[in-house]
Amino acid sequence: MVKVYTVAGCPWCEKVKKYLASKDVEFEEHDIERSKEDAEACRKLTGIEGAVPVTTIDNENYVLDFDKEQLDKLLCL
Amino acid sequence: MNIYDFTVKTNRGVEKNLGDYKGKVLLIVNTASKCGFTPQFKELQDLYMTYNDKGLEILGFPCNQFAGQEPGTNEEVQNFCRLNYGVTFQIFEKGDVRGETAQPLFKYLTAQKKFEGFDENHPIAKPLMEALQKNFPEYLEGDGIKWNFTKFLIDREGNVVARFEPTTNPSDIAKDIEALL
Repeated sequence: MVKVYTVAGCPWCEKVKKYLASKDVEFEEHDIERSKEDAEACRKLTGIEGAVPVTTIDNENYVLDFDKEQLDKLLCL
Repeated sequence: MNIYDFTVKTNRGVEKNLGDYKGKVLLIVNTASKCGFTPQFKELQDLYMTYNDKGLEILGFPCNQFAGQEPGTNEEVQNFCRLNYGVTFQIFEKGDVRGETAQPLFKYLTAQKKFEGFDENHPIAKPLMEALQKNFPEYLEGDGIKWNFTKFLIDREGNVVARFEPTTNPSDIAKDIEALL
């Protein structure tokens, strides 16, 4: 399952979610301001504290940012 | 009424009495929303790293009243949001800093130190004035906070000694901080 780490009010997170939906990609949203576990998992992945959106498919490869090209590559779109 | 009489909440929801900062030099700043290009965060963090062990505390108060209207910041495009931009100084709960709904602390600070104009030589001065005239002309009136990154310097006795507008970079305040330490 594709995971997207987000925070509320983050315009780039909204763009990632909309983009994935437009490509019929199912994903789980994890708000890192609402869950310490999610915040920690997201930080571990990127090595940066509190930076979103982060999209991952295997908890190893990820895209930080709203970057269509990188998202396409990550998710083989 | 004194700066140490105010109680505020940290970004983790914990009440904090400013009296806990007695004896410290304080820089109180209304910070920007978490998305966008805000180089002043980095400079504030640099000040904090340089002077914290000599007695400086920086208190950041995030505010959304100026969100989405960042003027003239096309130098760098950033497509992600960073909570608090990775700074390690204390960030407080999000709240208003101007108008009727302003937090009491900011009503006090702006009553203590009036608005004395922008530094017109600063690169953001012109786009900032244009953005204000166009979108929020009422913000230009009076002594209220005009924009993100208005900075108030407090001495070790709790006196509000200076106000710096968004058109003063944090690095340019270093000499004023040193004079109080």
